[in-house]
Amino acid sequence: MRSFFRLALAFALLAACDIAGRLLVWGLSLPVPGTVVGILILLAGLVAMRRVPAPLKETAEFLLAHLNFFYIPAGVGVMGYAVLLADDLWPIVVALFASTFLAMIAAGFAFQFVARLMHEKGGGS
Amino acid sequence: MSDVGIQLIYWDRVLEAGFWILVTLFFYHLARRIQQALDGSPLANPVLLASAPIIGLLWGADIWVGDYQQGGQALIWLLGPATVGLAVPLYRNFSRVRAALIPMAISLVVGSAVAVLSAVLIGDAMGASVETIRSLAPKSVTTPIAMGIADAIGGYPSLAAAFVIVTGIIGAVFGAMIFNAFGIRDPRARGFAMGVAAHGIGTARAFQEDEVSGTFSGVAMALNGIVTALILPLLWLAFS
Repeated sequence: MRSFFRLALAFALLAACDIAGRLLVWGLSLPVPGTVVGILILLAGLVAMRRVPAPLKETAEFLLAHLNFFYIPAGVGVMGYAVLLADDLWPIVVALFASTFLAMIAAGFAFQFVARLMHEKGGGS
Repeated sequence: MSDVGIQLIYWDRVLEAGFWILVTLFFYHLARRIQQALDGSPLANPVLLASAPIIGLLWGADIWVGDYQQGGQALIWLLGPATVGLAVPLYRNFSRVRAALIPMAISLVVGSAVAVLSAVLIGDAMGASVETIRSLAPKSVTTPIAMGIADAIGGYPSLAAAFVIVTGIIGAVFGAMIFNAFGIRDPRARGFAMGVAAHGIGTARAFQEDEVSGTFSGVAMALNGIVTALILPLLWLAFS
């Protein structure tokens, strides 16, 4: 019971950071997503505390392990656009596949290449 | 109590939302079981495996998708706090992330540019409509940002949202295969590239592989969202 209360508190903290981030973005009309600001708020808190409280670690890791769950409604939402997609179906299919593959290859290569270059020069790791 | 003027809680709607959340939970559980039976294969993507039967159910029973989204909206809201949890692995891997600032910056610029340009050029070359191309451009960033960008450059926000989801699933399903084929073995590079190309759904997959990949993917997702939101509308106006 006690541990459940602590986990609930940890979740409330995550939600509070998210809401604070969204409010900040809305209030200052920042061009970044509120949740990203929420991440930074929590990160700043952790840096100040110099440790991650166990219930927070447990809750965050649980949610991240099941992040897919929260994307299911968005997956279902795609259905509404099946009709709109019919016109441009092939360009869309090819563009989405090819472009996603190209972006992954380019970003992965760029990262690995630069990381190796830095490592050889002794600047990295 | 029929004389109560204002009804504060619509219990039937709460029940309906709760019902659809349970349905989602059931199919998610089933999807995870299938994925586990296939040794955690990325081909068995939980978002795809769970949303497909729900779509089938709604279609088969002739239920409006908006009814489902009574519950869906609650889960979409919960995505915020769940994503904020990224701060925890980010804090734990802070020195690793800080040591890779330069590879991350270069990878971000290259990956972000390739993601936008290749989608636009392929769409254009294959004769897609202008609105479709404009909705394709921000496909690699998280949904709310992509919708904002599509709106700013004259695409359809809701169509852009659908492209974002499909892109995320493509990245999550085929990412490992692509990285292996092209010799991209550094877990930081794999994670970061996943986050740049396939945002949150890619990040969800990266966390299934390992914490370092997941962390770099989350950082990439956040950075790419910011960079694309700031630069894409400006570039678009400059070149069109």
